[in-house]
Amino acid sequence: MKKTRDEGGDGLGPQLGRLWAADPVAKAPPWFAAKTMARLRREEDRKRGWFGLPRWVLLGAGAAILAVGWLRWDSQPSVADAELFAALDAMVEEDRESRWWAGL
Amino acid sequence: MVNEREGDGDDALVVRMGQGDEEALRELIIRHQDRVYGTVARMIGGAGPDAEDLAQQVFLRIWRAAPTYRARAKFTTWLMTVTRNLVFTFCDNRSKRLVVSDVVLDEEGEEVEGGQESVMERNPRDDLSGKELVQAVRLACAHLPKKQRLVVHLREHEEMEFSEIAKVLGVSELGAKSLMFRARENLKNRLAEFFTEPS
Repeated sequence: MKKTRDEGGDGLGPQLGRLWAADPVAKAPPWFAAKTMARLRREEDRKRGWFGLPRWVLLGAGAAILAVGWLRWDSQPSVADAELFAALDAMVEEDRESRWWAGL
Repeated sequence: MVNEREGDGDDALVVRMGQGDEEALRELIIRHQDRVYGTVARMIGGAGPDAEDLAQQVFLRIWRAAPTYRARAKFTTWLMTVTRNLVFTFCDNRSKRLVVSDVVLDEEGEEVEGGQESVMERNPRDDLSGKELVQAVRLACAHLPKKQRLVVHLREHEEMEFSEIAKVLGVSELGAKSLMFRARENLKNRLAEFFTEPS
């Protein structure tokens, strides 16, 4: 048996209850379940990257590769650096010879 | 009202969802979509895209939380708690944007010209059409603080016990009853002229 909301005075009471019930509660549209499932799949796909791996795994792996590459590149003197220092040495030597020639 | 057997079924569905079973979620949605959608629509002032979006978010949250679900209370209590969290956040954000709330919504959730005045200027006993009464009730409902509105809905429509309503709202049972009392007084004041006889 449906309990009336009057019992114990803890509901709206008969009159207010009738007024309240005059505004029927909306029902979900017929497509609601299908749209919710489609949204779930869309959001799950967005969280996944390539090869079915979560996006954060791929981003982490990419960042690790970049970090290792940068460290290896940074620790070795490059050919360009060696050439630059040789050129500077040559300039200093040339300047010293010129000063000697000029009797300075 | 959800009976015990249905309640058991809900828990089993959530366990299956926790194992990644999307079909279980679909079953759960079909079983509870009207309850969630109706509650959201009542709370935000009408059906429409916002109600649909919020109701979808409720089920997506349930899906994500399913692997860690512990049946500490009835499933519907948890479902309504998740709904309450989303709806209250939505109401708080909306109230920051909208200062004026004296609007009347028609049955499709659209705003009606004239709002409160068009309802209240007429004598309801002269022309108490169903639509006008619905508008007056919606307006009265919209003026209730969100906790009072939810208590009335859960009690009157979902027929929940005060102990469950208290869990949904995170208040004591006495607190839930107090909210109901204040809601009743507010509604009485707002809808006084629609009463057919003194109460």
